[in-house]
Amino acid sequence: MHEFLAQLINGISLGSIYALIALGYTMVYGIIGLINFAHGDVYTLGSFFSLAILGLLGATGELHGPALVIDAGLALFGAALLCGIAGVLIERLAYRRLRNAPRLAPLITAIGVSFILENAMQVWKGPSPVPFPAILPNPAVTVAGVAISLQQFVVVGLAIATMLALQLFVHGTRVGRAMRATAQDRDAAQLMGIDINKTIAITFLIGSALAGVAGFVSGVYYQSTWFFNGFGAGLKAFTAAVLGGIGNLAGAMLGGFLIGIVESFATWLLGGQWSNVAVFAILILALVFRPSGLLGETLPEKV
Amino acid sequence: MRSMKSVSRNLLAVAAAAGLLAACSGGSSGASRVAASRIVKIGIDLPLSGADASVGISTEQGALLAIEQAQKKGLPGGFTLRADPLDDSLQGVHSPQQGASNVRSFVSDAAVLAVVGPYNSNVAAAEIPITNAAGLAQIGPSVVSDGLTLGKAAANLRRANPARNAFFRVCTTDSLQGAALARFARKLGFGRIYVIDDNETYGLDLANRFDHDFRRLGGTVLGHDHLAQDTQDFKSLLIKIAATKPDAIFFGGVTSTGGGLIRKQMFDVGLGRVPFIGGDGIADLATVAGKLADGAYFTLAAPNAERLPAARAFLKAYTARYHEPIGPYSANAYAAAQVAIAAIERAIAAEGGAVPTRAQVLAQVAATHNLQTPIGPVSFDAAGDIQNPVISLYGFKNGTPYFISQSNLTTK
Repeated sequence: MHEFLAQLINGISLGSIYALIALGYTMVYGIIGLINFAHGDVYTLGSFFSLAILGLLGATGELHGPALVIDAGLALFGAALLCGIAGVLIERLAYRRLRNAPRLAPLITAIGVSFILENAMQVWKGPSPVPFPAILPNPAVTVAGVAISLQQFVVVGLAIATMLALQLFVHGTRVGRAMRATAQDRDAAQLMGIDINKTIAITFLIGSALAGVAGFVSGVYYQSTWFFNGFGAGLKAFTAAVLGGIGNLAGAMLGGFLIGIVESFATWLLGGQWSNVAVFAILILALVFRPSGLLGETLPEKV
Repeated sequence: MRSMKSVSRNLLAVAAAAGLLAACSGGSSGASRVAASRIVKIGIDLPLSGADASVGISTEQGALLAIEQAQKKGLPGGFTLRADPLDDSLQGVHSPQQGASNVRSFVSDAAVLAVVGPYNSNVAAAEIPITNAAGLAQIGPSVVSDGLTLGKAAANLRRANPARNAFFRVCTTDSLQGAALARFARKLGFGRIYVIDDNETYGLDLANRFDHDFRRLGGTVLGHDHLAQDTQDFKSLLIKIAATKPDAIFFGGVTSTGGGLIRKQMFDVGLGRVPFIGGDGIADLATVAGKLADGAYFTLAAPNAERLPAARAFLKAYTARYHEPIGPYSANAYAAAQVAIAAIERAIAAEGGAVPTRAQVLAQVAATHNLQTPIGPVSFDAAGDIQNPVISLYGFKNGTPYFISQSNLTTK
């Protein structure tokens, strides 16, 4: 029971990172029907931006009090903002002109953008794993015999707070309504006076900013980053988005947490070498038996 | 998607090579062609960038030093000796495909008479069939997987020319290293060990042998897990391991395939005080784990060069040349290059100062007998393995390795 809880908590922590990345996949798919394969690399970019900002602030070790709040806050918001800008640029330069092209064209472009980002990051920070400063003090709290670290609280807390903010934004603001309208019917939305280009750019801004948050969170959690991390994490987050029902926000979050838990439990019960097999077997099962995903049918409205 | 990347990279390499060829043929005159025939080269194939770069470059420097020294001393027949180093890392990780393509370019360059490298066993497995077919002598400084020289696997690597062996190594094998690690672990007082490996040629062999021998010596193996690729989360595995309350964790693999992150994450699940044991693959553990590497032990498939009187001149020359301490396999690479150089020199002498063929150099490498190197006298057995191999054990203190002991292993 004790180990079950420990694995569950670990799976939820891991899953919250997948969920944040999956949101970006699902938002972009919802609005322009594109699987943005460069999204995993935007996530890595987020950890690199956080690392660079912490470097500028001179934060190399554990921080306390106001320094922790200020430095971590700047790194978090800086990474989110820079990733958001990167996402907007990617959309403007690589995808916008292909918006009405056959679906394969932007898909291949997305893979190309992924290569460009990976290689740019390899040039930037080198091809080896880069240590990320352990800025967060890490006392553990014992709940029902299971040690939960402060890092895990922060990782999961930040992820859930970000997701709630996103839900409020999409369902409670004019821009959010424009996004939902564009996702439902782009032409009709345009006829109603919605600026499609602006709305799509905002979608990329928000989706990529969420990947930036995920990048910061993973850096703090693993104290290590690598230019190639986005490949594996991106594929798993994509699986999470499909499992939850691609295009569906709540589905992406649910899928992210489920994939994290599945990975954790597969490692525990089947052995480490089966964890990827379990995750991608779920992708195949979802595609075969429930292509619309777990929440795909109950919430027809996309974004 | 991975394979697409390597394809595109290979295409780029081909295009670049074609460009270089064009440039060379454009510039070559009659005079330079005559000069070119008096140049002999030793190819070096190692991971010079990426996650393995820290060990790859210090290994390369060992080989380069031997070649520079030989060139300074002068070769018989007035030959010029050059090193031709190539990087086998692709996307930051040692790559069998890249290694194979490097070795093909050595084969196509007639001036290359021997190859030193690679660093990793799975890369060697991709290269040996090519050097075997070409009859080009290849000397590995650090590749320890048994199947490269022994048994069915090795016979399969030599299928192009089964009667010929072109691959030699100056380090010992996985199974001898795994067996020695099991003995070390028992000597350090560990009774219950959890075994992890990275599912690669080197790591799996090492872990299997350790697992087998540790049980035979009366130890308990609590479990044996293999890692998945492309992940950075090892916490669920470690939570599972923590529940078994091990005396130590054994890792078969290298720092870049998970060794470094596992050591770090052990501290997150309350396993920070548990010792971490591995082979030569985690000699650079501190590059990822920093001071958290303390409490880890590793072996090198080589004697401690710093304690061999014969190695003193090498250590002095190395630090004078590179202004840094030697890496885990610098001395081995120096020895491997020495083997190649000595064989080339003997072949030139036997030819009366004419250009030797690859077959002659290969025969001379195989005939290497008691060559004095910084890792002790080198002779090869029929399989291409070093006779009288030595294993040494190290631990970490303040993020730097310190020597504990070494043992001579009886040769097969």
